[in-house]
Amino acid sequence: MHAINILLAQINPHIGDLRKNIEKHLRLIKKAKKEGAGLVIFPELSLTGYFLKDSVYDMGVNIDSEEASIFKPLYKASLDLNVSVIAGFVEKDENYNFYNSSFCISKGKIINVHRKVYLPTYGMFEELRYFKPGGGFSIFDMAGVKASILTCEDVWHLSSSYIAVNKGAHIIIVNSASPARGIMTGLNKFTSIKMWEELLSVIAFYYRSYVIYVNRVGYEDGIGFSGGSCIFSPSGEMERGMNYLEEGTMKVGINLDLLNNERFKTPLIRDENLNLTLKEIEGILNKDKEIIK
Amino acid sequence: MKKELPKIDEHNFPIIYKHLSYFIKDEVAKAGLKSVVLGLSGGVDSTVACYIAANALGKDSVTALLMPYENSSKASLEDALKTVGLLGISHYVIDITKQINEYFGNKKNSAGKDEIRVRKGNKMARERMAVLYDYSYKLKSLVLGTSNKSELLLGYGTIYGDMASALNPIGDIYKTQIYQLAKHLGVPESIIQKPPSADLWAGQSDETELGFTYEAADSIMYLLIDKIYKPEVVVSLGYDENLVNRIYDKIKKSQYKRRMPLIAKISERTINIDFRYLRDWS
Repeated sequence: MHAINILLAQINPHIGDLRKNIEKHLRLIKKAKKEGAGLVIFPELSLTGYFLKDSVYDMGVNIDSEEASIFKPLYKASLDLNVSVIAGFVEKDENYNFYNSSFCISKGKIINVHRKVYLPTYGMFEELRYFKPGGGFSIFDMAGVKASILTCEDVWHLSSSYIAVNKGAHIIIVNSASPARGIMTGLNKFTSIKMWEELLSVIAFYYRSYVIYVNRVGYEDGIGFSGGSCIFSPSGEMERGMNYLEEGTMKVGINLDLLNNERFKTPLIRDENLNLTLKEIEGILNKDKEIIK
Repeated sequence: MKKELPKIDEHNFPIIYKHLSYFIKDEVAKAGLKSVVLGLSGGVDSTVACYIAANALGKDSVTALLMPYENSSKASLEDALKTVGLLGISHYVIDITKQINEYFGNKKNSAGKDEIRVRKGNKMARERMAVLYDYSYKLKSLVLGTSNKSELLLGYGTIYGDMASALNPIGDIYKTQIYQLAKHLGVPESIIQKPPSADLWAGQSDETELGFTYEAADSIMYLLIDKIYKPEVVVSLGYDENLVNRIYDKIKKSQYKRRMPLIAKISERTINIDFRYLRDWS
């Protein structure tokens, strides 16, 4: 059996306090070790908080510079305890652009960085005001399992998971900071939670993949984040879910034999016609070009 | 069906209750405090806010101030005392008659009866605010707001009076929904049943003064605000044109009450314009 254990860390980060958040992360990395998990996943911007506004400027860290030494305790913990860590932070590049990024640290080193591609800038959101969009979706090897990180709004664009899965991802890791909003007569959860759970189920089922959703909790200026972190199996069912609105952790298992089974029974990924998609997209883009002319 | 104002019912009540309670708990803790103080009138709004606060922080961390004026409804004061007793919270009764009458004096005012009534009402609301903020300092407690979404949108409140607070758990909940919430919280029937009133003068009624019922206004405001439907679209759905326009007008005209004062920009970085941080920043 090919299985790995993962700890979902549904936390309430301290807004704008990198040091306090690093301490919080270290406590949970230790907890992951204790519970026998090889990977711990934190929510979007877990090291900084979400509605940073102008403090984005103070939170940015260039991971290729001296500034990154603040993360050394995380690198060390991942090496000493043999626990990989996915966490969110404000990344600053050499040209002083800021990104809403997530890194995966394994054995003392950063093995993957995902820069959030789709930055919501409508309603209560203003990410594009501060961040530069990432340039794509990558897959990386997580203890022998191919994974891809999509951050919150990335998943609302179905093309993101399409790309990740066709690049070879078996697990789609969704880290998020989703505010609880919308009530409906007869519904026992916020409508935002309902939308999320339906979306994640569809992605897991039609892309025949594990989907792990880690959402934060806590309040920032009255806006509450809904939590409800969960895991969907490649059959589209929610295997387990955490409480809404409450801090906590949950250990989940990924079993690649089950993924193998689902992909054999319904080989949607095998049958995906990438050439056709490419041709159609080229057609769409060329038509746009013609209109511009 | 989807175009109707959602009801707070037995299905969504638990998560709403949890959410509002955690909101108070989390934001009070972030302010470095443990408790709240609120003005308890005996009306449904402040009673609901009080129930949620007691659940969030525990009965020992909520203080209610009952601040009657000489002509305030005696029944409402009784209702407020009932809530205090049921929740087991501490309370103070602070009569504001003296300072209000002292300010206005007995001399005949050249202004009309209605105008002096409104001025007196505003003064009472601000006097209560001033007492609340004094107790906020005295008790190291945040002032809990008790304005609902309907009155905030309609501007049916006194700026820097009852509209002033540090935290408001019910400001995104329409009056119609407040009644539903009150039922699920187990608020006494006498509080739920009485007609909505600011109780600034004897026999005052919100709905008479506004000229429409909260139920009618809430269903329209839900479409205008929550659903971002233009007034003409709301009218096309079968709502009374005159009422839709009146409500939309009230919302627009009272926008100033919902914002911080305007600051003339002169520097490179100006408070609330391009100096942008959360209140939770620290």
